[in-house]
Amino acid sequence: MRSTETVRFPKFQRRTLLMSRPFLTVLIVAALWIAASFAKPGFGAFGHLRYLVELGAVVGLAAIGQTFVVIAGGIDLSVGAIITVSAVGVPLVSFAGDESGAFAALITLAAATVIGALNGIGVALLRAHPMIMTLAMATFLQGLLILLAGGSAVSAQSPLLEWLGSARPTGVPAGVLVWAVASTLSLIALHATPFGARVFALGANSLAATLSGVNVRSTTVAVYAISGLTAGMTGLLLLGMNGQGYVGIGDPYLLSSIAAVVLGGTSILGGSGTYAGSIPGAVLLVTITALITVVNASPGWRSILFGSLILALLLVSGRESRRR
Amino acid sequence: MTPAPTLAARGVSKSFFGNPVLRDVSIALHPGRIHALLGENGAGKSTLINILSGALLPDEGVVEIDGRSFRGLNPRDAHRAGVAVVQQELGLTSQLSIAENIGLGALPRRYGLIDYRCLARRARAAMDLVGLDEDLATPVGDLPLGRRQMVEIAKALFREPRVLILDEPTSSLSAHEVETLTSLLDRLCAKNVAILYISHRLNEIMRVCQHVTVLKDGVVTADRSIEGVEAADLVRLMVGRDTGHLFPAWTPTTDRDPIVSVSGLSAGVLRNIDISIRRGEVLGVGGLVGQGQEDLLLSLYGALPASARTAEFNGRAKLPSSVRKANALGLAYVPADRKREGLHLIHNIGWNLMLPSFARAFGLSLRDRTKERALASALADRFTIKGDLTRQVQALSGGNQQKVALAKWTPAEPQVLLLNDPTRGVDVETKREIYALLRRLAGEGKAIVLSSSDTPELVHLCDRVAVMREGRIVATIEREALSEEAIVAASMGADLMRTAA
Amino acid sequence: MSAAGSAPRLYWPAQRQRNRGVKGLLTVVAAFLALYAYLFPGLISVSGVAKFSQSWLPLVLVSMAQAILMLAGGVSLAIGAMVSLGAVIAATTMAGPLGVAGGAALVMVAGLVTGAACGIVVVRLGLPAIVVTLAASFIVGGAALLILPRPGGAIPAWLSDSLAGETPVAALLVILAVVLWKLYLATPLGLSLYAAGENSVAAYRAGVPVDSARIAAYAVSGLLSTCAGLFVAAQTGSGDPVIGEAFTLNSIAAAVLGGVGFLGGRGAMRGAVAGSLLLSVMINVMYFLGFPPVAHYIAQGLIIVGAVALPEFTARRSSP
Repeated sequence: MRSTETVRFPKFQRRTLLMSRPFLTVLIVAALWIAASFAKPGFGAFGHLRYLVELGAVVGLAAIGQTFVVIAGGIDLSVGAIITVSAVGVPLVSFAGDESGAFAALITLAAATVIGALNGIGVALLRAHPMIMTLAMATFLQGLLILLAGGSAVSAQSPLLEWLGSARPTGVPAGVLVWAVASTLSLIALHATPFGARVFALGANSLAATLSGVNVRSTTVAVYAISGLTAGMTGLLLLGMNGQGYVGIGDPYLLSSIAAVVLGGTSILGGSGTYAGSIPGAVLLVTITALITVVNASPGWRSILFGSLILALLLVSGRESRRR
Repeated sequence: MTPAPTLAARGVSKSFFGNPVLRDVSIALHPGRIHALLGENGAGKSTLINILSGALLPDEGVVEIDGRSFRGLNPRDAHRAGVAVVQQELGLTSQLSIAENIGLGALPRRYGLIDYRCLARRARAAMDLVGLDEDLATPVGDLPLGRRQMVEIAKALFREPRVLILDEPTSSLSAHEVETLTSLLDRLCAKNVAILYISHRLNEIMRVCQHVTVLKDGVVTADRSIEGVEAADLVRLMVGRDTGHLFPAWTPTTDRDPIVSVSGLSAGVLRNIDISIRRGEVLGVGGLVGQGQEDLLLSLYGALPASARTAEFNGRAKLPSSVRKANALGLAYVPADRKREGLHLIHNIGWNLMLPSFARAFGLSLRDRTKERALASALADRFTIKGDLTRQVQALSGGNQQKVALAKWTPAEPQVLLLNDPTRGVDVETKREIYALLRRLAGEGKAIVLSSSDTPELVHLCDRVAVMREGRIVATIEREALSEEAIVAASMGADLMRTAA
Repeated sequence: MSAAGSAPRLYWPAQRQRNRGVKGLLTVVAAFLALYAYLFPGLISVSGVAKFSQSWLPLVLVSMAQAILMLAGGVSLAIGAMVSLGAVIAATTMAGPLGVAGGAALVMVAGLVTGAACGIVVVRLGLPAIVVTLAASFIVGGAALLILPRPGGAIPAWLSDSLAGETPVAALLVILAVVLWKLYLATPLGLSLYAAGENSVAAYRAGVPVDSARIAAYAVSGLLSTCAGLFVAAQTGSGDPVIGEAFTLNSIAAAVLGGVGFLGGRGAMRGAVAGSLLLSVMINVMYFLGFPPVAHYIAQGLIIVGAVALPEFTARRSSP
């Protein structure tokens, strides 16, 4: 019995782990950190690395939803706009009785989730191309924001936001804690639930998924809703860390979220990948940005390096992308 | 002495993934002769055409053009030598005008620009040949299917070919258009063009062609002048393969009350179909390719919007409106194109086996890996899928992939199993296993609908066979009357039945 | 060849047929234009046309750049970066020893080469266009920042005056762009674009140069984008390395509004041109009616979704 079991499902091979893209990304991050600590004293200091991970948490949270959407075969270009909405929207929904700010945060997250679900409805029911649908949503939100916030920065203080931005229970920044919890939950959802399997099925072959009885519509709506939710969380975290929100605060995180997903080895064509790769992907991204700042590269070089990196990684995994 | 053939294949063999499709086939196309190529679905006709036009390389044998042999013929060489193919599936650009489509790939140019006047003149000439009187500027997207087929033929003529290969050109043409085509072929013939004509319509072939090659299971069974041949002889040459011990011995089950009955079903190309599926039977669905068999299965499965006058599914009086509802009613569907519709190729075997369960389960429950593994192993054992289940499905052979596509439904215990050509591209051993499985399931009281392009399969496995033509069921043949001749005759239309009778 | 006088007419009738798909859109555009002219009678004057076409020209160029790729079955997220690149090259070279002609030539060469490079990566290596052009947007945008780290540089005043002054040169340039596009479509390579986008396998079998047509489309797209950048620089009199950013989204919006589909081979360039005109007029009208300058974002978002959803609804109703 034992032996047939191992024929059917061979024991976990150490080589499989060593060859996997998430692990490769972790290695790159580690190598970069070690090399940079030798080259520049202070880079490897605990405080600095902790700061990097804290920055990584912002990108990483936004990448959660993006990972779900990309694995399901779509793309969410409204992540940046939703982040801004939630960062700017909190003061608008704050009310007197809400001492801790928790209600305002919940309302904001609910709104972000609804926005995401609307994206999903557009993609699943109107059959709009994901790029068009989320782009239109981003444009719409951008206008709405300027109308609501009037273009000036808003600041919001509440105990919850303060905790998010500056608390360090047992030395770990609160943002990183939130990220860790959210990551665990999404890894479970993706890899240990039937829902996660449906997401993979949808992205790998939506026709076969439909014929196998997968409810493609509800799954699509759900992944975009998740993307809205995590973008909303990102917005709250940013607001906490920055102390104020302004229109455009979320913009850099759209491309970073996509880059983190791609760097982590998730196929941009959908159907395969894991959030376990996006985690080191997000840290790699902020590390590269920090390194480029350390070596005093100009923003131009920074951008060129960044783009070349995406292209290089794409070429490495190119074989897989031609499978269709 | 007869002149040398313009295009010929000599001793050509070809196999795909170890399945021989053509074995030592020779064919010679002579100028000024219309040559028919006949054979059942899967006899190797398309492969032969692709080899003749350079789209595929043979494993053995050579293609000769004007007596010169080519080892590695490619489409461009064939093109230059004057070989033009009218494919079965259309490859036109709907946005562009008829004339632009006809010229694409061989556009006349002047000063680097397209010479629209020259194009107009030559396109008009080609259109006149096939009897297209539409305006040159009409976008192809506006044309009905039959007219598009004529544009495709005009496109081939535009290049002034010396060899014209027509793959089922008349399948979507009206009687009038067929008439035009026939007289066109006669005229081309007079101009010494060599023509290869593939069609399923026997009476048409008898009328138009002078020579016939019949393929059966990748082997030439006849290569002779058409004079003095009876349609019934041709049918006999196409069918009647040696089935050996492929099929299990079985006796019809007695428990045969209907589990699904639908009347007045319309969907896709289906028009007003009455069908009833009984417990314990294998109901065959036959006919030429693309007569609505797939639409029938899909509409029963809730995957195609359909309407029906009355419907009863497993005691419920309604057509399932979605795949999930069909699954809940006890239906399961195994598609013909397992790579595109049946399986998730990049995922592993175990995962594929579990997918229908994932689709049914509550989304946010936790998966039990131990249980999944045990179930997947049990399924793999039962269907004799060997080895490691963590391999990607695309690593499996066609036969094993088909087993996965079948096995994944077993845990759902479907009462009605809809199978679309389950043995296409499957090796003999797997075929035998699938046949045995189907009869066993029927013996357990399940209802099985087997749509197949393989006629012997229908004859030896089914309790009844419904033959479809142009979106209708034209005949339902009971077991006592089942024979390959009967099915082929019914699928090709009434006038053959008279000839064959 | 000379006997062609009696040949059946083809070119113009084929062009007219392609108008049918955009008739509805053209009506809407005409209505908006009429409204604008009613609200702002100054539009119907030389300087009115000049001002309006100046606001429209960059948008129409990037919309064409995007539509070419979408017709060929691709898409570009690097349009904005290319516009910035064109702007900074123009602003750093034209006032220097190269002069206006040299600078303009450099702008065009940069567009063609960068575009073709993108095309080669996408077509020859078979990589997804979205990610390749996303990476390209960083690389090209970075190059623009290297050339001109902060807004500056200069465009000779006479050039700014002639392109963006009181004379309607911009309107003439729109016409020129359309004429050149027509000429391009009248070449075998240009016409192959449609076939490559709709059914590339069948087109390849019929001998259509599918790969070359798609790479050429990327090159032409790059050229149009950098030219838009040149014009933007002339308008502002200087270069700005991030001035193009908004154009990526706007170009997609205009092309989608014009009925150009994402899957290739659907829609026509005239649709994209009309789409960009609609966006442009809409922004002007809303501005004129006193809407806050941001309301057009909302309208734009709603219109894009509407444009996509409408065909879906009508298709669903017509099929049982």
